[in-house]
Amino acid sequence: MTKTADNVNPNVYEKGSEREITSTELDEDVSDDIDEREIFDLIRNINDPEHPLTLEELRVVEQQNVFIDNKQNLVRIYFTPTIPHCSMATLIGLSIRVQLLRALPSRFKVTVEISEGTHMSEHAVNKQLADKERIAAALENNNLVQIINQCISSS
Amino acid sequence: MEPVWFSSDLADEIIKNNDIFEQTHSIVTDIMSGRLQITILVENMAGVLTNKEVDNRERGMRFFTKILQEIPKDFLTDMQIKFISKFYIDRLKDNHKVIPAVLEGYLYIIDMKNYSVQLSGEYFNVLFREVACQSQVRQDRYNIYLTISKLLEKDVQYMKTLGPDFIYGVISSMDGERDPRNLLFLFNFLPKFLAQIPLGHLVEEMFEVISCYYPIDFHPSPNDPAPVTRNDLAAALCPCLYAIPEFAEHCLVLLIEKLDSSLRVAKIDSLVLLTKSCETFKAESYGPFLKALWSSLQREISHKTDDVLKLAAHESLSALVSKLSTTANTDQSFENFIKGILISMQTALAESTTVAQFVQATKILLTAANASKESCEIITKAMIPAVLAYYEFKTSSKLQIASIEFLGDLYELAQHWGVLDQIQKQVDEIPQLCLTAASERTKEYQVVGFRTLIRAKDALKIDLVVPFVEILSYNIQHLEDDEVLSVSVETVHAIARKYPELIMDFVVKGKCDLENLIQDKTALQKRLNLLSSLASIDDFTKVIIGEMLKVISSSNEEASKVIQALSSSISNSSLYSYDKVAQIESDHGLIDSVLTWLYSEIATSNESLEHGYSLVSNTICSLPADKQLNILSNHTSALIEKCSMNEANFQMLECLYRSIRPNVYNKHFEEILSLALRLALNNDKDMVRLKACYLMAHFLNKAENGQKFELMYEGLKNNLSSCNRDDLKICPRLIFLYGWITKALVMRGSDLFQFWLKKILLSISNPECSQQGSEAIKIIMTDFPDCLSFRHHCRTSLLYKQRMFLTFTKITENMSICPETKEAYILSWAYILEKTPKSVLNNEVNKIASLAIDALEYDNKDLLIVMIDILIYFVQAKTVALAQSLQTILPRIINLTTYVKSMDVRIKSLQCLYDIANSYDTRLLLPYKQDILIDLAPSLDDKKRLVRNMAVKARTRWFLVGAPGENKEI
Repeated sequence: MTKTADNVNPNVYEKGSEREITSTELDEDVSDDIDEREIFDLIRNINDPEHPLTLEELRVVEQQNVFIDNKQNLVRIYFTPTIPHCSMATLIGLSIRVQLLRALPSRFKVTVEISEGTHMSEHAVNKQLADKERIAAALENNNLVQIINQCISSS
Repeated sequence: MEPVWFSSDLADEIIKNNDIFEQTHSIVTDIMSGRLQITILVENMAGVLTNKEVDNRERGMRFFTKILQEIPKDFLTDMQIKFISKFYIDRLKDNHKVIPAVLEGYLYIIDMKNYSVQLSGEYFNVLFREVACQSQVRQDRYNIYLTISKLLEKDVQYMKTLGPDFIYGVISSMDGERDPRNLLFLFNFLPKFLAQIPLGHLVEEMFEVISCYYPIDFHPSPNDPAPVTRNDLAAALCPCLYAIPEFAEHCLVLLIEKLDSSLRVAKIDSLVLLTKSCETFKAESYGPFLKALWSSLQREISHKTDDVLKLAAHESLSALVSKLSTTANTDQSFENFIKGILISMQTALAESTTVAQFVQATKILLTAANASKESCEIITKAMIPAVLAYYEFKTSSKLQIASIEFLGDLYELAQHWGVLDQIQKQVDEIPQLCLTAASERTKEYQVVGFRTLIRAKDALKIDLVVPFVEILSYNIQHLEDDEVLSVSVETVHAIARKYPELIMDFVVKGKCDLENLIQDKTALQKRLNLLSSLASIDDFTKVIIGEMLKVISSSNEEASKVIQALSSSISNSSLYSYDKVAQIESDHGLIDSVLTWLYSEIATSNESLEHGYSLVSNTICSLPADKQLNILSNHTSALIEKCSMNEANFQMLECLYRSIRPNVYNKHFEEILSLALRLALNNDKDMVRLKACYLMAHFLNKAENGQKFELMYEGLKNNLSSCNRDDLKICPRLIFLYGWITKALVMRGSDLFQFWLKKILLSISNPECSQQGSEAIKIIMTDFPDCLSFRHHCRTSLLYKQRMFLTFTKITENMSICPETKEAYILSWAYILEKTPKSVLNNEVNKIASLAIDALEYDNKDLLIVMIDILIYFVQAKTVALAQSLQTILPRIINLTTYVKSMDVRIKSLQCLYDIANSYDTRLLLPYKQDILIDLAPSLDDKKRLVRNMAVKARTRWFLVGAPGENKEI
């Protein structure tokens, strides 16, 4: 397959620093809640399917677009495709979902959506990403699973 | 009856009978003994050598060759060899079936001592005319190459006279060779050949034949037991391509073409070739290709992910620049090349939006600048002003910081190549920028500003000193951050070395207000740290130390702070050399003052006393032996007396004697030793007992071999054997002391330690004191900064930890362990394994692995952490023994992922799971995959974030086991 990438020359942004380990985190008795930063850390290193760059470097995901409610067990993530006609948007959304499915405790209900107004077929993609059965079906497809695994294996 | 080879029946015998080939040895013996002339033998073979049947002639030649192989190399005369050679050359014209034996036989002939190299001209003549090398089988082709190679070694001069026909013959004989082993031989042989035989007009032909293999694309057959690898071939081919300067043009064309290839190995091979080619090719040859080379190099260096490729490109660039710089004075192309680099990199720097991009461009410039003096001058001259301007653009803070660091790198390169004088004007601006950065409020700017100033301190002009000092002294007095503090002290130190008078006025007398040192209590400790660091510079020593001692001897309440500051600075040997400390002691009487202070404070028993003790011992260890003796004789008697009144005073005695040199000895030793022994067992204070053990260990470790050591050792042993072991209070102390004795002995490399180690093991197997036994093992294996260290003139035999490990392994082999003591036993193992270099463990994999697996059942945090670490090490090394026990290990480790008492255990066990998934064969892991994924789920919701992070790592890795897209190297 020699398809050229949708966005051949994307803007690359600075990588944020690693989360610093605080003294409370080293304290056995304090319990640290899962926060936005932690969830962001789970998905920032997912690779873009087209470039050898992470979603963070392309600013597809940003910490300010991650929301969590620990009491209600809700997680909501908005991601921003690099260009409005990006054909990989669904795949990126799927990768984020799969990564969170594997890495978050099962008590959370996770919603992954495209940031409003950043993609041409925003609603269609959102609908696909919210459909559990379609996700399950997608994960039966070996080719797709392979691409997703390659995207998230470095995170 | 005479054997058959004495008659002409031999010919028939060779034709009919295979067994005759077994008897060549006897024939050779007969020839050697003179009973058979070789001429007779050949006559007897005539029937078969000239037989009409090809197959029979082949047998004859084979037989003859075998004789030649076995006959000693120096036996035949030159005349005999000449005839045999002529015969063999003639046979080259025979049927193709006969050729292999001829080729092999000739190989033996040229090995003969009396072989004249003149004969080879005709041989090659006929060989290249009659025999098509590439239609022979592998071994015969090899024999041809070997013949050429051997003759070349024998007489190069003659081979040169053979002229173009010979060279052409060589070229055509190897043209099309396909066998990897033959190729490897040829590639190794060709550079020698090329270096010695001038090719004349055949340069291009020769290069064509060699270069058709480039780049090597080869996969060894999977059934080959000792395969030739692609890398072997590639490494061997490379030197052939740049063997002679004449290849330059052809080689560079080829190389540029392959650099543009999409194949990764082709690129890497080409880069390596380019790097190496700079050794032989002339600088001028690169001229026409520079543009193309640079654009290729630039492309490879800016590759995003492939680090190997990047590194190779950097090396090529460096080699190329340094080669070209040799023509810097005669040729414009070098300067143009460097300017081309400068222009494209300046564009890249200006366009970069992330630090990664910025650093990539700076790295290229640094590589080029590092390659030669000339390039360094051009680049630093252009780049320093450019970077200074870049900083002013107010790009992102990270880029600004990176640009200052880049300045520091450039400065160091300029310093390295000694071109600072030529770029004086540019360099002078650097400190100003450092000042700008250091004046920012954020930590990152300050740190990088100071660090760069330290690197470029020689460029600092006097007018900038005051502003720097203002910032620095503010930092030192008001900031809390350790990193900024230490770098600030370092900077003051650096400036003080260049401008001592200024610092003296502004800092020592001004900001720190030395004369009224303790009036101002705020930030006193920080000021003291700065002063004690400055005191190591000669100009400051007298003033500062004098003032500090005044504070100490006035027994002011702040004295402890002074002592603490001095103690931490003096123990830093990069600041204070031995000579410096000795000088301070003899000028100021440091030890006397500190001891007086200690004595007055000893009743308070606060922690600052420890600083006092270590200050004394650190000072003592720097002194020469005679001064040490002096000080000891001044104080010992009085101190021993004081000890009899208050045993706490023993600590002062200890700090005096702790770090004496091995050859220092006085009459008090025995008295002190027995005092120490008594205190170690009977004193009620933990600290005093510990110090007593320290001192005994030091004495034992340092005592000179021979009588002195033996007396001391025997005395100690007798004293200890008379101790009452049943006393519940004494027993743990005794085991503790055994630990110290063992440590001292094993570190001095004495075998006697085994005796004490056995005693400790005995205590481990006793349920009542097994705990203390394992503590003793811990003492032996742990390094203490102020005990038995090199600084205190102690002997530390090499590899003593390995020795402990081996001895412990041996002694415990037949030890019976009851269930009550098993935990202590495994814990002792853990202490030993923790400190033993991991590579040593590989010899005892099975034993250690089973210990580690056993240990997973015990509820002991320290034990678990060490043992899981060991397991992780073995797993990462893909140890087979563990792969077979996965069924046992996995449930236990899974259990530990929810170990409540320690998050470290949880993290380590999760990491172990991750590594298992990463290291072992999918086939072994698949049966457990589903269970583990379910068992790991609870850890995702662990209350500690660090545990969760590792759980995520482990669980996402296990998801990949056997799944499509898994990238596993096995």
